[in-house]
Amino acid sequence: MTAEAAHETRMPERVALTGADCPGVRPRFAVEQGQRVARGETVFVDRARPEIAFAAPMAGTVARVEYGPRRTLGSLVIAREERDDAVTKRPEDVRAALLARGLWPAFRTRPFGRIPDPDAVPDAIFVIACEPDPAAPDPAAVITQAGDTFARGLKHLTRLTEGPVWVCQHPGANLAPVSDRVRVSDSGRRPAERTAAAHVHRCRSVADTGTVWTVGYQDVMSVGALMETGRFDATRTVMLTGPLARRPRAIQTVAGADLRDLSAGEVTLGVRGLRLFSGTPSAGRQAAWLGRDHRIVTLDATPPRRRPAHRTWLGLRAETGPRPIIPSDRLDHALPRGIYAAPLMRALAVGDAETAERLGCLDLLEDDVALLSPLCTSGADYRPLLRRVLDELEEAR
Amino acid sequence: MSRLSRFRAVGWPAHTHPSSLWLIAATPPAAVALAQGGGPAAVTLLTALVTALAWEQIFATLRHRPPSAHGAVTALVVAVLTPLNVAAWELGLAVSLGVVLAELVFGGRGFGFVSTPAACLAFLGFSFPHVQLADPGAWVAVASLPGAALLLVAGLVSWRVLSAAAAGFAVTALLTTGVLPPGVFVPLTFGAVFLLADPVGASATNPGRWLYGLLAGFLVALFGGFDGETAPIAVVLATLLANTFAPLIDQIVIAVEVGRRRRRV
Repeated sequence: MTAEAAHETRMPERVALTGADCPGVRPRFAVEQGQRVARGETVFVDRARPEIAFAAPMAGTVARVEYGPRRTLGSLVIAREERDDAVTKRPEDVRAALLARGLWPAFRTRPFGRIPDPDAVPDAIFVIACEPDPAAPDPAAVITQAGDTFARGLKHLTRLTEGPVWVCQHPGANLAPVSDRVRVSDSGRRPAERTAAAHVHRCRSVADTGTVWTVGYQDVMSVGALMETGRFDATRTVMLTGPLARRPRAIQTVAGADLRDLSAGEVTLGVRGLRLFSGTPSAGRQAAWLGRDHRIVTLDATPPRRRPAHRTWLGLRAETGPRPIIPSDRLDHALPRGIYAAPLMRALAVGDAETAERLGCLDLLEDDVALLSPLCTSGADYRPLLRRVLDELEEAR
Repeated sequence: MSRLSRFRAVGWPAHTHPSSLWLIAATPPAAVALAQGGGPAAVTLLTALVTALAWEQIFATLRHRPPSAHGAVTALVVAVLTPLNVAAWELGLAVSLGVVLAELVFGGRGFGFVSTPAACLAFLGFSFPHVQLADPGAWVAVASLPGAALLLVAGLVSWRVLSAAAAGFAVTALLTTGVLPPGVFVPLTFGAVFLLADPVGASATNPGRWLYGLLAGFLVALFGGFDGETAPIAVVLATLLANTFAPLIDQIVIAVEVGRRRRRV
């Protein structure tokens, strides 16, 4: 964990809002290609829930508007202009402000990982200020650097729920003063105990009933800034790292930044085959744009070519079939305490939603099971398997 | 993060089968048994290897799947516990039955629910009345320690299972005989690591591993584990029976956890 916060700001030439960050949203665009937008201006709303607005992370010109499959969002790209004007409006009610000013999509429901309904009231809100990956920027340093915007943001979050607001942090000094509404949950030592799921499972499990929301600590700082200044601030502190990073370090940028712009001039010279990841190769995704929940940008080398297809000893061609899940000890370190890895992996592998629900899969989202895949002999990626089971359970509700 | 847990957290890259680690672990005890037994032991080892690998190859070809090298591990473990007075055809038959019925019909290693070498040895012990499984001896026990350490560090063998099995065995032995000379653990070491603690047959949850180990240790003592002559067959039968109960143990552990979770909210 790097103790220092970022000293350098890199504004990308282009930013994008992408479908991967807006799960289940079908957009109704408020702008068109070529139009100029100010920072914080609404660029589209959710067609099904028009109260939920999505805002431009920086001022510029709309360069591209694309639909994804089935009229979901593909991407909306904004090219930067020198003039950084921002929508400034003093907000009053916090819920109305977050909805109208583009910060509502920062929340994710558990179970299912959706953007919450405009009038929903969660049983608790979890502010995720802990990082499973030690390469990520230190949340405490980032929060300290920004003064009291984090504490202010927390205060506003307490108005969205009647339950507690949990600050999930690494062990150490409290990131916020504890009160009857704001509580602190310390992470354990293992990476699996630093995931959002570990805190949710321990403090307010939604495996059986209820709904909680999670929100990233940098989004909470954006909430604090919006409520204080009336301006939309999508500043992000991310770590540039990976085998090809010439100078691994934390930098400040904006949400949805173009990863090529961030990595320009940062790649070790003379190396070909750069692959850019938002997040880490195992827990993130290969992407062109910085994802909402990612605080790491990995500059990875192209992997060595896969070995050719298997052959049996007699030289006959063989297809790769399903491989077994061998329930070794190390799998149990990859999920939060109280969720049994091997039985859950078996249930996910065969799509047994009922068993997976009983084993507590509703406390989990894709990122929480990313640690399983590199440890499992089957080589399966459990993120899409979990998503399939969650979708099935959501449909049945 | 301690060095050990970092090793565990990193693990090895996906798509690599841990069979090679098992093979490394099982080789020293097999080599010691080979050195002690000479020519007949070589015939035993070769028979077991050829039979196990031939069946792996046949099933791999039929299913258009890559064959697993784990048949070699099975063969090494079986060879160590096979007495020298067993004819080659007897061993070949037992290994065939064990490998096919305990592993390959389910789809290969990891898809079955009992330890494959334990199944082979049980077929050998039951099918031929003159066969009494070999006492592996102290040197085999010593030679299996480095492999045991390797498997423990890699997380392939659970320290919970091994400790609980030792405790279950010791307590049962103390209650029934009143004495517990440390020597009684020696003939059990090899079987405990390569049969009892095989993750394919053992429980898959951490509390379950404790219960499974205790049950297995109790069964080993019950079947005569503290007599050097009956110790190997006691471990084999205890492994098969404990393997059969392992899924039930896991179900109980999960039911308790679900109940606790529901009460907490």
